[in-house]
Amino acid sequence: MIRQDLIVERGVSAGDEWVTVESGSIRDALAELKNEGFRLLVFLTCVDHLVDGSRTWPARFELAYQLRNMETREELRVRTFVDGDPPHVDSVHDMFPPANWDERETYDLFGVVFNDHPDLTRILMPDDWVGHPLRRDYPVGGEVVEFSEEHERWQTAPDRA
Amino acid sequence: MGKNILTTTLGKLVGWGRGNSVWPAQFGLACCAIEMIHTATASVDIGRFGSEAMRASPRQSDLMIVSGRVSQKMAPILRTIYDQMPEPKWVISMGACASTGGVFNNYALLQGVDKIVPVDVYVPGCPPRPEDLLNALMILQERIKAQGILPRT
Amino acid sequence: MATSTEGMSITRTGEAGAFGGELLTVNFGPHHPSTHGVLRLIVDLDGEQIRSIKPVIGYLHTGIEKQAEALRWQQAVVVTDRHDYLSPPINNLAYALAVEKLMGVEVPPRAQALRVIMSELTRISSHLVWLGTSGIELGAMSILMYCFRERDTVLAMNEEISGFRMHTSYIRPGGVMADATPRFLEMLDRFTREMPLHIDEYEELLTMNPIWRARTIGIGRLSPEDARVLGASGPMIRGSGIPWDLRKTRPYSGYESYDFEVATSDACDCYGRYLIRIKEMREAVKILRQALDRLPDGPVNVDDRKMLPPPREELETSMEAVIHHFKLFTEGYSVPPGDVYVAVESGRGENGCYVVSDGTHKPRRVKFRSASFVNLQALERMALNHMIADMVAIIGTADTVLGDVDR
Repeated sequence: MIRQDLIVERGVSAGDEWVTVESGSIRDALAELKNEGFRLLVFLTCVDHLVDGSRTWPARFELAYQLRNMETREELRVRTFVDGDPPHVDSVHDMFPPANWDERETYDLFGVVFNDHPDLTRILMPDDWVGHPLRRDYPVGGEVVEFSEEHERWQTAPDRA
Repeated sequence: MGKNILTTTLGKLVGWGRGNSVWPAQFGLACCAIEMIHTATASVDIGRFGSEAMRASPRQSDLMIVSGRVSQKMAPILRTIYDQMPEPKWVISMGACASTGGVFNNYALLQGVDKIVPVDVYVPGCPPRPEDLLNALMILQERIKAQGILPRT
Repeated sequence: MATSTEGMSITRTGEAGAFGGELLTVNFGPHHPSTHGVLRLIVDLDGEQIRSIKPVIGYLHTGIEKQAEALRWQQAVVVTDRHDYLSPPINNLAYALAVEKLMGVEVPPRAQALRVIMSELTRISSHLVWLGTSGIELGAMSILMYCFRERDTVLAMNEEISGFRMHTSYIRPGGVMADATPRFLEMLDRFTREMPLHIDEYEELLTMNPIWRARTIGIGRLSPEDARVLGASGPMIRGSGIPWDLRKTRPYSGYESYDFEVATSDACDCYGRYLIRIKEMREAVKILRQALDRLPDGPVNVDDRKMLPPPREELETSMEAVIHHFKLFTEGYSVPPGDVYVAVESGRGENGCYVVSDGTHKPRRVKFRSASFVNLQALERMALNHMIADMVAIIGTADTVLGDVDR
């Protein structure tokens, strides 16, 4: 397990164990877990908590890293919260190669900058796209459909900041 | 070129020839492409209707079947492929996503491929049955036979 | 909209090659007959040997994850069908299991068995597409016709049970869409008896075929260590000898009660993965037979009126049923706040759904962990120093679905 001083919070959500760490110590925490046998990064993604009233969040963007130990078959989700314009966090692509493209996708769709990433460019959107589509203040877009409920909200944003 | 007995008969011959050998350019994008493959295989054999040769090169094909959703990144490439096809050429927009954007009304997709290329036949469905695509081809063939020699404007 | 490669660290054009010339950069796709979809590869060639590959993706980006945030929980099942478009029920299953975990409900045994039946039928149909298209790309044209003939049978069964050939949206949070009709069970019975003979036909065409063997044995090597490190899953990792199959290691939906083997191969090449997929089709038929033989009776949906609408007859007599019906079809049900990750084994590997709920009637975030997205990163490792003609075999063996990669 990670050193006690790195863990900010821990819990279980619908059977999934998770821990929260400070964004600055994400590399240390993941390195320790890797040493313990959690050598597979299943996925890495971001959640935008803009205007989410279900609880108070430490920051707007939450990064979730799902790690798996293939020998014991345990899984653990490591969460960290980042803020900023743009938010910065250290890259873990050298420890976990699948993170290379996951981090590019998170940068493309959310705007989170990963320090020391070898090639942090857009991967899914065209190279000259402006904006980060999966942020909650980016409109869903598309065409306006008359008489559809809530479609005005789609044209502005799912959440108004 | 005026319409007289020679040109209309020649027109029918040309239309018959063009209509019965429409060669599609492979433009399978997403799920509809799999149903397009079904249209080309044994149970619903599009080769019976003349579309046996599904050319990989747009320079050798008459028909572009846009089968699947067209994303923002793919749109310029689709237009380039369309421009490379020699006249006369036709476009079938297969499926809901190619026709109008389909289930996905959002930033990432073109809401219908007719925003960038002129479409002759739209095939609804998500994905349309192989028989629907065949029906669309048959409708297109009737249209081609009626056009005759005159190029499409 | 520019799709230039500015800023990308690729193209070693001009670099000196080992055979006295320079490296040549060739663009492979996105409009290409053999890339299994709109995949673009920027390949640096030294003569005919591949020195580096850079996959460029995003040509099928559909904004599925954003679209799911704009739809209600029960509506979002529709978009889950369409990212890995060769195995829609398996995608539905990952999403449904995640939502059910957050809601804290468990579906009845008949629904679980029907889910297993649909998943295995889909696994077979997905491998049939793989086999048919890989075959035709390597020049074996008849196998395409054979495989799609069987696939038509499977799609006819899909249509019988759900009304759709491909994007069934059959497996939903709370159960399944509708019960299996007697005609479906009859079709399934016939299918389980006839399919092994058809698989024998495919093997007869390909397994000892010298051309097939020459084009796939030794091609696309992925060592077990590389497979682990790169996070490969599905036949990509089982092809390197590691018996990781989520149906056995982290079972879901009742898979622990079925008797089947996990196909592995120590060959680490394209031929080994071909044999694995053939075996997986046979094991899928075995599971279908077991599921059909012991299909339990009972309801196919969880009995929770806050999640699923009441039967229409009740609307005539019960006011409460009318209120539930109204709430479900206007606002939809709300899922308690929390987040969960559920992974299922698709034809490609680990297909997972990470769902975050903020307590409202729409998802906060739905992330699809895509097997193809991660398996595609192994392409460079597999194809380095092979000939350009082998590129097609290697892309085929990875069995990537670009809808899943780009979402």
